[in-house]
Amino acid sequence: MKTRREILQGLIVSIGGGSLLNSCGGIAKVALPSEDAAQFYNEEETAWVARISDFIIPRTETPGALDVNVPRFLDGLMAEWANSETQENHRRGIKKIQNQLGKGYLTLSEEGARDLLEDLDKSAFEGRPSEYSEYRSLKSLITQAYFASEDGALLERKWVAVPGRWDPRVEI
Amino acid sequence: MTDFDAIVVGSGMSGGWSAKELCERGLKVLVLERGPEIKPERDYVDQLPPWEQKNLDRISQEEIDKHYFKQYPGVAYAVKESNKHFWVKDDEHPYETVKGTSYDWLRGYHTAGRSIMWSRQSYRMGPQDFTANKEEGIAIDWPVRYDEIKPWYDYVEQFVGVAGNRDGLPQLPDGVYQPGFELTDAEKFFKAKVESKFSGRNVIQARVAHLTDATDEQRELGRTNCQARNRCHFGCAFKAYFSSLHATLPAAERTGNMTIVHNAIVQTLEYDAETKKVTGVRIVDADTNEHRFYSSKVVFLNASAIASAMILLQSKSETFPDGLANSSDQVGRNLMDHVSGAGANGFISGFENQKVFGRRPGGIYIPRYANITEKDKPYTRGFGYQGSASPLGNAGGQIAGIGREFKEAHKSPGPWRISIGAFGEQLPNPNNRVTLHPNKTDKWGNPVALFDVNYGKNEHIMLEEARKDAVAMLESAGCTDINSNPVNLTVPGNRIHEMGSARMGSDPNNSVLNKWCQAHDVPNLFLTDGAFMTSAACQNPSISYMAFTARACDHAVKLMQEKVI
Repeated sequence: MKTRREILQGLIVSIGGGSLLNSCGGIAKVALPSEDAAQFYNEEETAWVARISDFIIPRTETPGALDVNVPRFLDGLMAEWANSETQENHRRGIKKIQNQLGKGYLTLSEEGARDLLEDLDKSAFEGRPSEYSEYRSLKSLITQAYFASEDGALLERKWVAVPGRWDPRVEI
Repeated sequence: MTDFDAIVVGSGMSGGWSAKELCERGLKVLVLERGPEIKPERDYVDQLPPWEQKNLDRISQEEIDKHYFKQYPGVAYAVKESNKHFWVKDDEHPYETVKGTSYDWLRGYHTAGRSIMWSRQSYRMGPQDFTANKEEGIAIDWPVRYDEIKPWYDYVEQFVGVAGNRDGLPQLPDGVYQPGFELTDAEKFFKAKVESKFSGRNVIQARVAHLTDATDEQRELGRTNCQARNRCHFGCAFKAYFSSLHATLPAAERTGNMTIVHNAIVQTLEYDAETKKVTGVRIVDADTNEHRFYSSKVVFLNASAIASAMILLQSKSETFPDGLANSSDQVGRNLMDHVSGAGANGFISGFENQKVFGRRPGGIYIPRYANITEKDKPYTRGFGYQGSASPLGNAGGQIAGIGREFKEAHKSPGPWRISIGAFGEQLPNPNNRVTLHPNKTDKWGNPVALFDVNYGKNEHIMLEEARKDAVAMLESAGCTDINSNPVNLTVPGNRIHEMGSARMGSDPNNSVLNKWCQAHDVPNLFLTDGAFMTSAACQNPSISYMAFTARACDHAVKLMQEKVI
């Protein structure tokens, strides 16, 4: 398994974020197949979505959001599924989250960045104020994308394709 | 000499039964299906795992706007990217509504029609449903009583395979059932609370057309038991739920008596004024635009309540200037559906140490009690509730937290939530109707449907009461965070139970069909889809269409043998 750092690099580079990475750490490029080329997110957006996804669903004993390439999945979702209105809203939403987390967010230390997101998450779910709806919406998409992935479904969620029976009572 | 003994128009829920019953009685049968062929091994997508579903299985928003602007909003829970080929494209199959009204005509044009996508709830009508019109002086009396149709329910259920419990309720008669899907403990708790607080109300297992103990007959047709996958709207490789494609059409096929022709859109029935019979059907080929005529001794219309009425309205002749078999002027009228839009949900506690295994096809059902065991209602008729109590799960990501804890929270079943929603009876009203649009046609030159359907006062009052009742029942079980949105009646047609457009009755002056689903005006013409329904009851109707179809076929063949038709 690649390190999380390698995945993050590869991902951002694969959708055109090489210069951004270089500017904030000088990390070598990792080539990915061309069919993974960016379709919707620009490099900055990709970097943001990648970092947030990684904090929300990190790699533990099972793969995390970056391992299953959630940012690329959302990129495709926005490019193929969303209409222009949804695309604009999504883009505006990311911008709002960027403002809420602060301009230097991507260059913050791992710990500092995670703490900041944790605070944002708290604010977003305490009473669910509307000013954080964009964050809640992005978090929902990240989570849905993760659990729709093969690893997310099989390893983490223990999804069974053919249960074969119905048991209304399983003690846990 | 005719081309066939019988022509069956439509291969869906009831058409499949017509084909089976007529073929098994030795008739040479032509089944006409207006859409393309569905082959399970090619067209089913039930085995597609989540990670092979494109874009969370969402149809692109542009495509929805272009092709599925009625189907998708109407059935968003079932119309997905992977199975969109089961639903019609609205731009190719347009219809119109009278100004100020709306209608959801939700369809699948292909082999087996909507029997591929149905929700499989299978409840008999009860004795009260056949007498209510007469007792209340509403519309006309049914020419049939429960006892007459009971053996036919037995007959079709045995073949279909319905999982359910025999609950002994007179208003929702027990049938021939395979083992049901056991209630969750939360549902059993809810049942106990509701039944003790509200005498005369019952919470029972949903009765669903799924095999749980397949018979030899069902196995011979290649069907096996339900695997609790809940992928039914995508087809079923196990053929565990009933559809024409899994059961009736294969049964018809194996007799060697069935011919099925796809892409054949029936435009008119040909009528012979001398013999006073239909002689055959005229079709247009959906692909080639070629026109063809097929002759037969008897015709069964199973095109669905709306389409069958439209075929009659299109079949004008000197004898029937207003449409075939329409001397009563009732064809297209009394169009009914069921009405939803009232219910409640809430959390039910005490079950946090439990989860479930498997994904069952149905949950709980609360049979109608209004005006049966409780008589003090400000409305007539009633409603049943469908619902379930199950772990909410967290996979939507809508809980607080990030990181390991958030990720692992999804392993927990989450709180248990109970949800119930009403399905109410819509009263027959001759002003609720479908007619042929005076000047708009589809791409084959057929007049498009024009709907004019409104709910009446009774439906509005009833659903308001259904909402209050739902909240009260959840309260009786100690549910918390009870959420019950203001009543918002579903658009007519949205429950996909359209019926009543050629009602049966004893008097040819005010009904289209007799008690055998046989046209009063045209003795070799039968309509056995939802068109015959004289009132709607509140139960999901498919199993009733099946029972009436089997009975009508038996009768038609007897009349043919006796040379009456």
